[in-house]
Amino acid sequence: MQLKDNKYIGIGFRKDFSEELLDSTVLKPAFIELAPENWIGMGGYWKKQLDKAAEKFPISCHGLSLSIGSPDDLDLDFLYKIKKFIKDYKVQIYSEHLSYAKCDNAHLYDLLPIPFRKDAVKHIIARIKQVQEVLEMPLAIENVSYYTPVAAEMDEATFISEIVNGSGCNLLLDVNNVYVNSFNHKYNAKEFIKKLPLNKVAYIHMAGHEQISDTVIIDTHGEAVIDQVFDLFEYTTSLLKPVPVLLERDFNIPELEELQGEITRMETIVSKTWKKEHAIA
Amino acid sequence: MPLLKEETRQQQSKLAEYCKTGIVPELNGIIEENLHHYRRLVFNIGIDTIETAYPITYRFLPDEIWDKLVYEFYAEHKCQTPQVWRMPLEFYDYCVEKDIQGKLNLPFLNDLLYFEWLELEMHTMEDIPYPSYDTKGDLLKNLLAINPEHKLVKFTYPVHVLAATELEGKEGNYFLLMYREKESGRIQFMDVSILYAYILEQIQNGLTLHAVLTDADSLFQINNFEMLKEHALVFINDLKQRQFILGFLNK
Repeated sequence: MQLKDNKYIGIGFRKDFSEELLDSTVLKPAFIELAPENWIGMGGYWKKQLDKAAEKFPISCHGLSLSIGSPDDLDLDFLYKIKKFIKDYKVQIYSEHLSYAKCDNAHLYDLLPIPFRKDAVKHIIARIKQVQEVLEMPLAIENVSYYTPVAAEMDEATFISEIVNGSGCNLLLDVNNVYVNSFNHKYNAKEFIKKLPLNKVAYIHMAGHEQISDTVIIDTHGEAVIDQVFDLFEYTTSLLKPVPVLLERDFNIPELEELQGEITRMETIVSKTWKKEHAIA
Repeated sequence: MPLLKEETRQQQSKLAEYCKTGIVPELNGIIEENLHHYRRLVFNIGIDTIETAYPITYRFLPDEIWDKLVYEFYAEHKCQTPQVWRMPLEFYDYCVEKDIQGKLNLPFLNDLLYFEWLELEMHTMEDIPYPSYDTKGDLLKNLLAINPEHKLVKFTYPVHVLAATELEGKEGNYFLLMYREKESGRIQFMDVSILYAYILEQIQNGLTLHAVLTDADSLFQINNFEMLKEHALVFINDLKQRQFILGFLNK
């Protein structure tokens, strides 16, 4: 993605604050990200808003319903709609979750954990290759937060690495998800990150979460990013070449100044860790 | 041969089914006390989406009936659309198919749900190209250009006029014209009589107003063309002012 002036931090484009964002002199993301599912086939007022946004910002897409880890067949009709959307809006990064949201021919509209198993790895590699073939571009796959493993045969880092390396896809490294999972499953977040195929990281997500008990954090995207996640972000970016970074905020939207504050804090971090001038490829 | 083993597929299937029904499955290697988060998260997305799409019905139905309806929908129905904002249409279709209005003895429920869905659909539906038109012409003799982003809908109950609590016993023929304003994207609603609904439908079918009125005069047994014309022109001019009638179709 071509970003200007060594600015790397984008924000999720949400209807809740789209109007404010488009007119804002406060919030200045380098790009915006949106879920194609929320915009494909939409006309009227929202289409106009989307078109205005596309004139003002580069767009990345983060899918919700492709269900890359599903036992069901890929929905090719839907995939071709995504392809057209990507082309229409000159989208340069398309990412999806390493999870499943559809099973037994029923969409669930949330991200369920895939069993960390060898056969699932092979199954998903084949599906990612199929997606990349149709889209004629690499897919970036995101490490998701999860609250329980299911029938696991291997650890999460191995599962992700084998899929990324076997499919040739990119990795969307969600730093908050690593933090959430390290808390929920009691592992060392930095050690986990080091095990990932970091040369394949093409995109980073940052977000807030909610700790609901002594043992569980839920990945809500409804709170400010906490200091520990900023620290993990600094550590992560020190291991990586420059890539676009997204601040996700889906609920409980604060004043735009607060969101810009988080963006500025991330810009400050990467200005140290990514000192040299880079054009993001 | 499938790459995914049957055992793995079954584990995935059981978790998904649990999220739909809440019936706790036998799953291997899970953190049992955390499993309910998935059911809660999945169900909340579904219920929020449906309640946002059908705010009138949601407020009208008693909580226990609404909750049971949504629960059964989520448990029994397999949502087909990958776009969650389109899912409420499947909820409407489910209610019609299962005859929920008959079971609840609320004969206007289908109309009410459909009315609410239409508002959402009109707001979001894909843009339709406008026809080429002139602003000057003869309202009676020229073909009229109308806003293509509209729906003319017949209801058995006046769900677009009366509150849900006032609908009982109001069975009849009611027509609603809905259209989307080009610039603002706002949805406009207009209650129309059966006669005016007929006129609009025939204009939409490509007849001149004069031809439509000639037919309507006998069809509705008015037998007074001049009076019909006078009233119809008031209606048509009103629609022109509202920019539903755009002008006159270019040949």
